[in-house]
Amino acid sequence: MSDLAPIPAASAARAPGRASIVRAIAAKELIEMRRDRRLFALFVFTLVLIGAALGFGAAENLRLGRERSAAAEADRQLWIGQGPKNPHAAAHFGQYAFKPVSPLALADPGVNAYVGSAVWLEAHKQNETQFRPASDGGVAARLGGLSLAFILQTIAPLLILLAGFGAFCGERENGTLKQVFSLGARPDELLAGKALALIAGIFALFAPMLVGLAIALLALSDASKLSLADQFIRLGALALGYLAYLLGFVFLTLGVSALAKNSRAALVTLLAYWLTNSFLAPRLATDLTRGLAPTPTAQAFRAGIATEKAATFGHDETHPAFLAFRKETLAKYGVSRIEDLPVNFRGLQLRKDDEIGYAIFDKHFGALQASFDRQDTLRASAGFLFPLLAIQPFSMAFAGADSRAQFDFTTAAEAHRRDIQNEASENIIHFAHDEGYAAGPDLWRRIGAFSYDAPTASFPLAHSGPAITGLTAWLALSLSFALFAARRQRPL
Amino acid sequence: MSAFLAGLRFEARTLARERAPGLALLALVGLTLFSLHAGAVRVETQQRLVDAARAEEAQRYSALKLLLAKIDRGEVREELPPYRDPRNASFAGGGLAARVAALTPAPLALAAFGQSDLAPPVVRVTSASRDSFLFVDEIDNPANLLNGSTDLAFVIVFVYPLVILALCYNLLSGERERGTLAMTLASARRPDVVLAGKLAARALAPIASTLAAVTLGVAIFAGPDALATGGFFGLASIILLYGLFWVAFAGAVDGLGKGSSFNALTLVSAWVVIAILLPAGINSLAGYAHPSPSRMEMTLAARAAATDADRERDAALARYLETHPSEKRGGARERSLRRLATQEAAFQRVESVIARHEAQLDRQRALTDRLIFFSPALLTYRALADVAGTGEARYRGFLDAIRAFHLEWRDFFVPRARDGVPLTAADYDAAPQFRAESATDVGWTHPGTMLLGLGLPTLMLALAAATGYARCRPR
Repeated sequence: MSDLAPIPAASAARAPGRASIVRAIAAKELIEMRRDRRLFALFVFTLVLIGAALGFGAAENLRLGRERSAAAEADRQLWIGQGPKNPHAAAHFGQYAFKPVSPLALADPGVNAYVGSAVWLEAHKQNETQFRPASDGGVAARLGGLSLAFILQTIAPLLILLAGFGAFCGERENGTLKQVFSLGARPDELLAGKALALIAGIFALFAPMLVGLAIALLALSDASKLSLADQFIRLGALALGYLAYLLGFVFLTLGVSALAKNSRAALVTLLAYWLTNSFLAPRLATDLTRGLAPTPTAQAFRAGIATEKAATFGHDETHPAFLAFRKETLAKYGVSRIEDLPVNFRGLQLRKDDEIGYAIFDKHFGALQASFDRQDTLRASAGFLFPLLAIQPFSMAFAGADSRAQFDFTTAAEAHRRDIQNEASENIIHFAHDEGYAAGPDLWRRIGAFSYDAPTASFPLAHSGPAITGLTAWLALSLSFALFAARRQRPL
Repeated sequence: MSAFLAGLRFEARTLARERAPGLALLALVGLTLFSLHAGAVRVETQQRLVDAARAEEAQRYSALKLLLAKIDRGEVREELPPYRDPRNASFAGGGLAARVAALTPAPLALAAFGQSDLAPPVVRVTSASRDSFLFVDEIDNPANLLNGSTDLAFVIVFVYPLVILALCYNLLSGERERGTLAMTLASARRPDVVLAGKLAARALAPIASTLAAVTLGVAIFAGPDALATGGFFGLASIILLYGLFWVAFAGAVDGLGKGSSFNALTLVSAWVVIAILLPAGINSLAGYAHPSPSRMEMTLAARAAATDADRERDAALARYLETHPSEKRGGARERSLRRLATQEAAFQRVESVIARHEAQLDRQRALTDRLIFFSPALLTYRALADVAGTGEARYRGFLDAIRAFHLEWRDFFVPRARDGVPLTAADYDAAPQFRAESATDVGWTHPGTMLLGLGLPTLMLALAAATGYARCRPR
């Protein structure tokens, strides 16, 4: 082994590594951003907005949680306190199912204002949910409220493009782009450094928001009713989704800045895109999906159910289906008169009618949700081009505030309604020996209150395929565009 | 005046030669026409809903009267259950003979969706408490309701100001940066008048294009008659006033004498604050200070009333059966009286809960009404919905009319139900009809608020712009 170590080539010794070039560029960009007073003020203003949105969201979640718990308790007392009556009369009185508030709805209330939060579980009928909060909100409320999702989906991209629109073309106008390239920086490195600085800016917004949300989750979630771990998995998924959404804007901004003739053109192009993505695309998508995959009107939907229900007998003892069922039952028990049956015929009749009804409701409510799903898939399919169309359903899904979460709740509520009906009919079948039969509080207590276990994070994941594809494609496309645009720079 | 016109003509010629403004104006006109078309489709759907509901009512009434005639002729052999018996006033008033109360779309309904996609245009009024029929929603994908549609109100409130800002943000700064300002200022004795003429050309292009597109769109999609209504005059005035507000804003910022990029960023930020953040903040604040009432409270009150009435009825029936042991316990008369008793108990309690809820919503609206002056965008959005007949004022009027009709309906059916008087075909003919408010009476309900909230700031901004232009130096 020689004592002489090889002397590194002079150029190699002086040339900084790629990583250090990228770091240096990022540091310079960050300093410039920090020195831009308007940008800094915007950043601080956004932080204030985030704080306000967190506050409003937490207060609303708390209020709704209290309201719904109190309503559920009051309804339980009403159910138990019915007094002696026929179990079917009790089933007609029914129970109410109240949708618990998803803790992450404080970050993204999603469609919560546009869906009902309570459903009446009564005999013979699957009801739709009632009381959309938006109906009470007036016209002004249609312009939306302040939420973290709104800030991340609309304001954060604007902040990114305002911070980055001059990244390349500004330097070109100032004549510093040539200097940077002359120092040995390559276009990819310049892109990486500038992207890193913008990403650091995003993190500076993201970090306090995530911390605030985590604290709110810990403080507001009832660990006895839902899994905190699951809530944090959802929060992690939301963070990843928004990261992809905003990273796409970072790359798009840098790409446009690199290709634009001047910073004014870059700003105008980016603002036009932001406006289209944030405001035009969601509305145009609504008009388009309504036209391409229409949903039934309430009247048509209810008429469809009523037509099929007319084929069954309900309480109509002259209905041909009733006569056929009576004949079939008598034959089954080998008797010729209803009075000779060992069980209560009315109970059998109710159970049979319910069973036919269940299939009809499953078909119609399933078809209605399928029509919503078709519209949602269509809307998300343009998410690679206008990423709000992808991040919005993704965010609502993981916040537990989309139409799928609503359908899961209504399906669970309907399952509980069926438990009530079945239990009431079984009671009549086995215990009602005369027309004046009345059950008492023991039965009302035995029929439990509605309890809803929100699905785990795998549920939104399973239903977010189009949104995840849209976000991934958006990120890949914007990155490719930024690389293409940066490599077209002709510095010297 | 000639300096003004010279400035206007010169700027108009300059604009005509540039491609970007032309494209922006074309996009604005296209979007305006598209939004009116989307509005017309929506209005047609709503009209179909109203027509279908009225047809269903007519069909139901003829079926009921046919059944009555059969009963009278003795052609119905079996005993009808009370809930299907057209003679039973308790069940007829409570649902069988429910009357359709409909809100017909106004002539300019295509201009703003407003509350029309949330508030059902058709309500079936019965003698039961209002909670049972007032909160029946129309079906729609909630994601559609969340995002809203491309209606004219959206185009005017959000897109129109951006086109105005894009054309007006750099009148002075652009000339200064191109080095032509000194020449422009030297071209007349009153340079500020020339500049005002140039600004007027830039402002006139988007405002006149939009007004022309709206006139054309309304004529095509709502019919030429809609142009002759007072509502159309209101619509045009709102568009003009809102446009002037943004022109004055752009002029005031440009008059500060800063560069084009400063103007662009300031105006875009102002647009974000005025059109997006302030409405969102106002809504959140009003919702926080006076939360919407829990409608579940109303339902629970009705249920509690039903339980109590049931209990009272049970006790009364038990006493009656003690003295009349031969009476049938679950007969049609008893079922009708029990239904009536629960309905009446629920009616009393629900009315008081609804009154409390309305008072709570009134407080929320009052706060919004005070804060709305901070957001010209919200003010304009509400005014457009009012003119379209899809705003709160008209829906509240509709709800008031339903409340009055509900009482009239109950006055007709409840005494008959209480007395057990069987209904006849003549009763069905005499049953109250809902008298819809005339759709053509719809108009601009807050012109004073609009003038104060938008006209005053416009004047102040115009003054600031004039001062800025008067002080303008080429530097």
